[in-house]
Amino acid sequence: MFNQKRLHPAAIFFNFIKVLRESLFALVLGFITFKDDSLFYFILIASGIFILMLTFSILSWYRYTYRIEDEELRIEYGIFIRKKRYISKNRIQSIDLTSGVIHRIFKLTKVQIETAGSGNGAEASLKAVKRSEGEALRQELKTASTRRAEVHDEHVELTSPSLRITFKRLFLAGSTSGSIGVLFALMAFGFSELEQFIPDHYYDSTVEWAIGLSVIFIVVLVIIVLIFLWLLGIAGTMIKYGNFTITKNDNELFITRGLLEKKQVTIPLKRIQAVGIQESIIRQPLGYVTIFAEIAGGSMDKGEDFSSILFPIMKADEVGDFFNTFLPEYAAENQDMIPLPKRSRKFYLLRSSLPVIIIGAGIGYFLTQFVWVPILLLIGSLYMGVLRHKDGGFYQDGQRLTIRYRTFSKNTVTMYHKRLQAFEKKQYLVQAKQDLATMRLSIIGKMGMGKHFIIKEMDESHTDQLTDWYSYRK
Amino acid sequence: MRKPPVNTIATDAIKAWKITAWIYVGILWLVTVGLAVLTYFFEFSNWFTVVALVISGLSTYLFVFLFPKLRWKRWRYEVFDQEIYIQHGILIVSRTLVPMIRVQHVDTQQGPILKKYQLASVTISTAATTHEIPALLDEDASELRDRISALARVDEDDV
Repeated sequence: MFNQKRLHPAAIFFNFIKVLRESLFALVLGFITFKDDSLFYFILIASGIFILMLTFSILSWYRYTYRIEDEELRIEYGIFIRKKRYISKNRIQSIDLTSGVIHRIFKLTKVQIETAGSGNGAEASLKAVKRSEGEALRQELKTASTRRAEVHDEHVELTSPSLRITFKRLFLAGSTSGSIGVLFALMAFGFSELEQFIPDHYYDSTVEWAIGLSVIFIVVLVIIVLIFLWLLGIAGTMIKYGNFTITKNDNELFITRGLLEKKQVTIPLKRIQAVGIQESIIRQPLGYVTIFAEIAGGSMDKGEDFSSILFPIMKADEVGDFFNTFLPEYAAENQDMIPLPKRSRKFYLLRSSLPVIIIGAGIGYFLTQFVWVPILLLIGSLYMGVLRHKDGGFYQDGQRLTIRYRTFSKNTVTMYHKRLQAFEKKQYLVQAKQDLATMRLSIIGKMGMGKHFIIKEMDESHTDQLTDWYSYRK
Repeated sequence: MRKPPVNTIATDAIKAWKITAWIYVGILWLVTVGLAVLTYFFEFSNWFTVVALVISGLSTYLFVFLFPKLRWKRWRYEVFDQEIYIQHGILIVSRTLVPMIRVQHVDTQQGPILKKYQLASVTISTAATTHEIPALLDEDASELRDRISALARVDEDDV
């Protein structure tokens, strides 16, 4: 049905970029070393290497073929050592299509095929094929698994529900993303690295100039920089989550996103280990939440978070509808969390404020005029402690367990009994005296690593109740 | 309140742990001696040596004499048909339940120190966690490994 095919010739270009990027460091190093005496020879050798790399790229494109045969995807590749990789249709877990900017110019797409095996990369990655070809490939590879599933699943929905992010929401997501902090850190880091390359003379005079300026000017400058970073954060979110659309097909979720780089991701429902609602500290007062899921296996993409985003932003009161439509088994009917006992609050306060107290005491002792900084931080950390205690809790109903905890953002995570890999109850002496205990739940995370949820200082009777719930030995 | 697991690990575990602890503490003592020698030749303040001595002495007491015994006393395990139940921890007591159907594989391991006392450790891995039972008699360990491996061979529902 599918003949033996090669990738689109644009793959040569991607191959070339890839080898070039890998050797860029060596090239730059070589350039710096030889730039004075033997630049001519260096250029000669470098161009030789260039041609070699180009040949290599063309050859590896030429030798890379794929076809679908006997219910298998068969890939053959390798220049000197011929490698063949056969992936059975039944074993394919998900097929993701990604189109970067260059892909989109030529109407191409990258096809990544994943099986349950854990590892860093996808099992097979077709760097560049025509978009129509990519879609056809996905359809063809999927048929086996869906046909199988339909036998099990009696009530297959005919219409596939779908939800798309509105521009207003997207903008809101960007402006509340909180990536401003990350960007700021990155910039500070970038600047400290850059410092080495700016000649001392300029650097010193610039610093002198800056010190000579009035305080107001500096404040204005800082505000401008912050606004710039904030706008950058908005742009980043827009690019990443632009046109975010989630669609439910009978046994999988299908997500399309990205303004520049278009990404299509399939999430088989079977692989979802837990589903969570995150209320970040900026979005919570506005009543907005993010929906995420923990998904077993799969590869980790660059710039991807550990949890997969199912929907970047929505109003808290829309969550119920969302779950009813897309993940009915995770829909929450009654979410009256059983809160942490009052007596555990002091643990939370102490834990969140202790590092601040220790560092703050040092600052207060040595830099008396800045003593207000640790005091402000202390108040902030105590408030965080109160919030963490207030938000901690759980709710168990049948096979389903929902827990709520806060680090900075408030997370409400729902998981099923069968998804839990291990259950741990921890207790130290002080906790034991107060009938408190810490609970640790483990589920499968990305890349075959575990993901652990910890709730500290629960009422001991509650941890014991959950231990009994979890135990297979009734 | 659930009862703690019943089985203790091998008594020789204490000896094995002591040897391991001696190796680490030995490094500390070497540093201390080195510092004392340096102080003698270069006339540093004696305080460095005193502090190093106190640290080495204290860690020797804690890690060689106190902790192995406490650790052994706390370490319990029990293997049921449906799940594995483990308790350990000196200051923080932790009790873990690992269902049999979640076990992916079981390993036994034996380093030179454990071998001296005919001991072995059993490592139980799930898709998300690993749990180690540190020192069992050699034959107990392999018997346990085989038993868990057989019990774990239950029909698995989707992962």
